Amino acid sequence: MSGTNDQVDEILKSVRESPTYLSLWSAYKKIQRLSPKPPKSASLRASIAIIGSSTLEPLAACLDVKIRLEGFHNHTFIGGFNTYRQEAMDKTSELYNAKPDIIILAVDAWTLLDQNFLSSYPRMSSKSRSAAIKELANSLIAIVEVLAKNSAALILVNNFIVPTFSPMGVADNKQKISFRQFFRRANQLLEEKLEAISNVFVMDLDSVASDFGKSRTMNWNTYYRGSVPFGEEFTLVVADEYMRYFRALKGLTKKCIVLDLDNTLWGGIIGEDGIEGIKLGPASPGIEYVEFQRLLLSFYNRGIILAVNSKNNFDDAIKVLREHPHQILKEEHFAALRINWQNKAANIAELAKEINIGLDSIVFIDDNPAEREQIRLTYPEVMVVDLPKNPRLYRTTLENLDVFDALSFTKEDMARGEMYVGKHKRNELEQRSTSIEDFLRTLEIKVRVKLTGDFDTPRVVQLIGKTNQFNLTTRRYTDAEIKSLRDAEESAIYSMAVQDKFGDEGVVGVAIIRKEDVSWTVDSFLMSCRVIGRSIETAFLAKIAADAKTAGTKRVIGEYIPTKKNAPAADFYEHHGFAKQKEMGDGASWMLDLAHGTLEVPDWIDLIEE
Amino acid sequence: MTDAENSLAEIISKVLLLDRNELTDDLKRGDYESWDSMAHLILISEIENEFGIFFEDDEVVDIWTVADIRELLSKKISS
Repeated sequence: MSGTNDQVDEILKSVRESPTYLSLWSAYKKIQRLSPKPPKSASLRASIAIIGSSTLEPLAACLDVKIRLEGFHNHTFIGGFNTYRQEAMDKTSELYNAKPDIIILAVDAWTLLDQNFLSSYPRMSSKSRSAAIKELANSLIAIVEVLAKNSAALILVNNFIVPTFSPMGVADNKQKISFRQFFRRANQLLEEKLEAISNVFVMDLDSVASDFGKSRTMNWNTYYRGSVPFGEEFTLVVADEYMRYFRALKGLTKKCIVLDLDNTLWGGIIGEDGIEGIKLGPASPGIEYVEFQRLLLSFYNRGIILAVNSKNNFDDAIKVLREHPHQILKEEHFAALRINWQNKAANIAELAKEINIGLDSIVFIDDNPAEREQIRLTYPEVMVVDLPKNPRLYRTTLENLDVFDALSFTKEDMARGEMYVGKHKRNELEQRSTSIEDFLRTLEIKVRVKLTGDFDTPRVVQLIGKTNQFNLTTRRYTDAEIKSLRDAEESAIYSMAVQDKFGDEGVVGVAIIRKEDVSWTVDSFLMSCRVIGRSIETAFLAKIAADAKTAGTKRVIGEYIPTKKNAPAADFYEHHGFAKQKEMGDGASWMLDLAHGTLEVPDWIDLIEE
Repeated sequence: MTDAENSLAEIISKVLLLDRNELTDDLKRGDYESWDSMAHLILISEIENEFGIFFEDDEVVDIWTVADIRELLSKKISS
């Protein structure tokens, strides 16, 4: 069947060259006709569903092809015209049979409102306006709650587009509940009532429409001819917005920004202009760079890693980071620095190694097109930003990248930057130590392993969603699936938190166990790459093996499923005395006989059991 | 082929999932599976957008073949 896959690749290649609405639609129909077989590897399969109040094929088609462009085989379920209620209520419906990763609920406010709503609004009492707001929001929330109950998918609910028109004209907001406020309040209700359901997201269609230009969102011809509301261009924009959630769910988002210094973080060249001469300060020229840095600091504060890659004399450049009164990003905000005369491609590879992240998690920002080209050619997996020549556009360029999305923020995210300070200190200590054991002993590592509770579940969900390197099986689970695995008798989720004398790393490891009488199977085992190299994984596995033995089972079974990125975990089971059971595709399953083999916690680790 | 003819052929072939050389004037809606109502809707809209014109409902219904599209379009562009 490779013929079919080649044809699909050919179709996708032509879409890449001309990503128009027409090309995407055509590609979708052609791929459906070929119906390619799903790949063996579950990590490359995706399934989405879109239901709602209009004809959704065009939007679904664009989204389907965009998912395929990310390298996934995708199944798309498209709900019928205005049949979303039945589809949501019927547990046996095709919607749920397709086991979607994501369900999109796209309902137009006007299909939920009374047909006389617009004409009656000017004469409606504020009391009935208020009641109608609740009715509008609640009818949608009711559907969302059914979806969340029947499916473990990530659920995306479009909010309502607030009209720009009002029958009351400029005096609209002189009313108790203005026409536009009606829709704003309904949106607010959606957000308030759905905020607590962790796998439900309100997709801010109103903002997306505003950004695009509300007067251009609709194609009234296709709307009246066939209930296709959105114009061609806007359909692509909406599909892109859904893709942000998809990438976040599948762990495809960026984690680190690598920055140049001269003419990127400040104007001018420090080596020539000197610390007093560079443009960085409260007025233009200079304020552009300050505001760009403030945006970068906001990313840092939510857990994006920052690093420097600059051709400079180290002493000149570091002086700005340490001493310039208007410099926003200080030395401690950067997880790693490469300020030297080496070529930048070599530097970026070193940075990735030092920070311990994949090159494909990096965004590179540099004003010099030649440097950008070099990185692009050497490491195509690095995202290289086409920075505009005009520094006044740096900030908006970064704001519009939309590649840093996460589905939740944990205390580990918020403190990520500080953790790298601890890492620096650890590195210094390592260089001074006479042996690796010596070094590890002086770290005073404490490892806490416990069954996941409510409090650490969001972090567990996050680690399962984004850990790529030290991940034995790379199985991704949704929030709802994880909660059901956590709560079920026949499975358990362990989480591991690590601290040492340089700081608290928080929860950095997760293992999902499927329990049977004679054996425990390690469905998932993963660890943040930040803590690799301290044998912490050995302590974690030892604790699981000990629990398995206490539970009366005879063996622990583990699997390794290779991906492009998880080579660091390849010899994990072999290294810990597991015997190979059988080859499975490219991977293998491994077994530890608990009657003969045991696992020792390394003596430099203090394992705290809870 | 003029630019207009070229872009029309591009639209039709993409919507009807055909190679450019497979496109014939007598290709007929109803006979050809890929030319369903959804494809028709998209075809009409793409042509409207590309050429900045508008098809009346009667005209949309009366378009049955590729030749019909060409004929109607040239009438609209020249008028």
